[in-house]
Formats: sequence, C-alpha cells, structure tokens
Amino acid sequence: MEINPHFNKYMDHYFNFSGQWDSPSKCGLKIINRKDGKTLAIATEIYRQNPGTPVTEWCAPLATQIMNEVPCPPEQFIFIEHTPDLRSKLAFYEETFDLVTFEVRDQTLVNPNWTRLAPEQVDEIMEG
Amino acid sequence: MKFKLIYPRWEKLEGQTIFNLPPHGPVVMAAEIPQSVEIDFTDENVEELVIDNNPDFVGISMMLTTQVKRGWEIADQYRKLGKKVIFGGISTMLHAEETMLHADSVFLGEVEGRLDEVFRDFHKNDLKKIYNFLSKPPDMSLIGPAKRDILKKDLYYHKGFRMVDLFHASRGCIYDCYPCAVRYLGGRGFRPRPIDRVVEELSQMDNNRLFIVDNSLALDTQWEKDLFRAMIPLKKKWVSHTIEDKDEVLDLAAQAGAWYVYQAVFDTSDYIKNRIKQYHEYGIAVEGTILLGLDNQTEDDIKRLVDFLLEIELDLAEFTVLAPFPHTKAYSDLLKQGRIFDTDWNHYNAGKVVYHPKHMSAERLTELYQYAWDTFYKDEPQSMKMFNLINKVVSREIADGTYTPRRRDIADLSFGKKVPRLA
Repeated sequence: MEINPHFNKYMDHYFNFSGQWDSPSKCGLKIINRKDGKTLAIATEIYRQNPGTPVTEWCAPLATQIMNEVPCPPEQFIFIEHTPDLRSKLAFYEETFDLVTFEVRDQTLVNPNWTRLAPEQVDEIMEG
Repeated sequence: MKFKLIYPRWEKLEGQTIFNLPPHGPVVMAAEIPQSVEIDFTDENVEELVIDNNPDFVGISMMLTTQVKRGWEIADQYRKLGKKVIFGGISTMLHAEETMLHADSVFLGEVEGRLDEVFRDFHKNDLKKIYNFLSKPPDMSLIGPAKRDILKKDLYYHKGFRMVDLFHASRGCIYDCYPCAVRYLGGRGFRPRPIDRVVEELSQMDNNRLFIVDNSLALDTQWEKDLFRAMIPLKKKWVSHTIEDKDEVLDLAAQAGAWYVYQAVFDTSDYIKNRIKQYHEYGIAVEGTILLGLDNQTEDDIKRLVDFLLEIELDLAEFTVLAPFPHTKAYSDLLKQGRIFDTDWNHYNAGKVVYHPKHMSAERLTELYQYAWDTFYKDEPQSMKMFNLINKVVSREIADGTYTPRRRDIADLSFGKKVPRLA
C-alpha cells in the first residue's frame, strides 16, 4: 500500500481496487480496529487522484473487498464513505461523511444505504 | 457484408427550436469499420427506420440517455429476427449493464484500432459480450478523419440552411464537474489530437460551419494556440465550448473563425460579466448555458440569475434543469441522499425534474425553468436571436469569400420533411 505524508485523520493509505468494468481505481483508506472488536473502514473519494470508479458508485463491491482483505466478518464491519472538501466555489465539493449499511448475501455486501453523519458522529464511531 | 448502423431517435424538448445536427459518434465509429464492410446508416431523428432481414450485423450508436430505451427496443426487434446487435457510444457506456440485457455485445471506450477485432469475432461467430476499452484510451494520432459520407447530407438542412457539422480536436477532461460524466467516459486526462491530424480532417470537410464538440478547449494553452494558428488558413467558422480567457488566445480564436461559444453561467459575479464582455470584444458571440436546480440555488437566486443574463447581453441562453446522469457526482450525491424519484431514462432530457431539489419542490423548479425560458426570450424570441447570430457569420463569410448561399432546391424542407416555404 502506498503511503502519503499528506494523509489526514480519516485516511492513512491509498487502497487500489478494481472498479466497474475492471477499471483500475483508487481511494483513501483508514482501518480502525475498535476496542469492541469491530472494524471500521473509512473510504475516501480522492477525485482526480482516482483514475477509475468513484467510491459511491462501487460502494458495495469496494466494501466487500476491504472487508475480505482485513479480514473481518460482515457483522463486525462498519463502513463510512468520506468525501473531502475540495475548497471549490461549488458547495457540492464540501466534506461529507456517510455511514453505509448493506444487506449481506453469501458473505458479500449488497444494496448500500447511506446515512449522513456529522464529523462529531464520525469521531464517536472512530473511538468506538 | 452489410452492417446496419442506427442512431435512435429521442423526444425533443417541448416548445424549443429543433435543430437536428449530423451525429458525431456514428461517423467516428464508421471510420474504423473495415473497408470491406458495407455501412447503411439511419439517423432516426431525420428518417424512418425500417427493421428488416437485410443487414448481416446491426450496430446501435447512442449519445444521450434519452436514446437508450428506444435503442433497446430496436435491438430487441432485430434480435427477434436473429440478427446480432452491438451497442456503442456515450450513453451505452453510461448505461452499460442495462444495455447488455438487450445486446449480443456492448463496446465500451473509444474505437480507434479496435473494430477489426470486433468484426473478425463476428465473422467467426464468436462475438464477445463486452469489449471493454474504458481504461485504455487509444493513441491520439490514430484518430483520423471521421467517415461523414455515411450521412444523408440533405437531411441536415432547415429550409435550405445547412446545419453545422460536428468535429473534435481532443478528448478527456481534467475537471470533475458536478453534473458531467466525462471523467468516466473519456478519462481524467486531457488528450489533444496532434494538430496535423486535426488540420487533415478539417481540410476534408466540405461544411464551412462547425461545432467543435470538445468538452473544453481551455485545458492546454500552448496546444490551444497552436490549434487556432493552424486553423486560420482554413477559414472555417465554428462554435465551441469554453475558450481560455487570455487575450492572446481569444485573439487567435477569433482569427481562426470562432463564431460563438457555450459558456456556463453559474452565478451573477463580475467574473462572469467580464468573461462575456471579453468574448464580445473579440467578436465572439456567447450562448450561456444555465443549469437550474443545483443545491445552492433558491427561487430568488434563479430569478436574479435570469435578470443578470439580460443585463450582460448574452446572445443566446439555454436553460436546463439538473439531470443526474449515471457516473456523475450529481448522481452519486442524490442517490446517497435518496432524492432521485424518477428513473425513467426518457425523462433525463434536462427539461424534466427527476429529483427533489433542495430549496423547492420539483413542480416549482419546473415552473422556474419555464419562467427562465419565457423571461429571457420575452422581448426577442430565440429564432430572432439565432437569426442575428447567423447574420454575423454570413457577413464574415462574405468578407472572406467562404459564403455558401442557402439551397433554394430544398428551401421547403426541414430535416427532410415538407414545411411552408420561406418568403
């Protein structure tokens, strides 16, 4: 995994994944093993640095891949999607966090459902 | 071998002037089809499609999301006749998974250097379900002149006036604009064509008026300047998206024949006001493209924006409502927030509201969209403003000897159909 000195509290390495139509894709990733035994993964959309599929569009397969690589059983896995603030004039590129829940079929995560989180809620989840 | 290439029809926006431009995707694809193949092209927007047993192989080229359902319908009918059908084009890529349900094969990505394989596989009866070149853009020097002789040219005239021909000098884009899918379609890099290949194609085009369809010409200053310098002797007149705001670039663009540009107007700032003024100073007209329904727009913002457009003396304005096309950030955001309520792709025409806007109801946004069109064109209708723009280009063409008079023999036809003759 590639290490970048500019990573922040929500990502500490890049994660390469095979996106839609096998497009080579990349996101930021932070894995936290919480005291309660659960594993939290925060996947960050890195926009121009991601040559392939955006995190949201490939959320379920990406989360499944991360969960399997950790490895971690689905019931112990928490997944947060993060989009960083691009300091764009447009409000649509501000920082957001979404807790993503899935249905589990044959150990595969499917049908993502997003719930917007405030940064304080993310901190709480990170601390477990 | 007979290859039937089809460009499906779509429903045009109500109340707006219809201009059927000769499509670009099919002619770019046709240039890469092996020469031994006989191509029979039908653009359903200007002629009727007859579905019969005649073709050996069928290709459906789709650009817009509003074409996909019709494209699937055509494919289903040909496949019932036992014909193999392959899909390609922008909206095939945007809707690939759904399209695969109606196809023997889908082609994703850019065609240069790739179609020999497809036709070889067809001959061997070994067509692959998917030809995926999305992450493998071709060498830009491979892109030669498009094969425009498949078009029935007389069908692209309105009352004797010829429509612009579409042309491209680059692909891809470095930006990740909220409503745009180019990042997914053409990659995150800007890929200009070599200037000599651009000139080669332009020199072969018999139409003096063009629409350069590149996402933006303002992505590489040196290339942009080289391109405009090379275009000056060709004396073409053209429409394009944004040109860089440097005086030297705009001066070269004007000399190269810039007629008018599409410029996104997203706020009422001095930046926008000055940008429009700067284009006008170089004799380049501006059609504002105004996207309504973004999350930062209230009702008052939209009304203020329309007033502003009148103040800055835009030559034309085109209003659209946000359509969250797949593979855009708009789609991702609205999907996550559960705000998309209509998934009928025929409604993704940028005139219908298919999601819940943040600051108003979908119905109110529809009303404001209509208000914007009505208010902007209240004192001078769209057809009159367009006529003024045509007059400008005609004057320039007369001055440099490139003017081609209107064709009297088809003055009573609009895109192949009879209409009242002009006085």
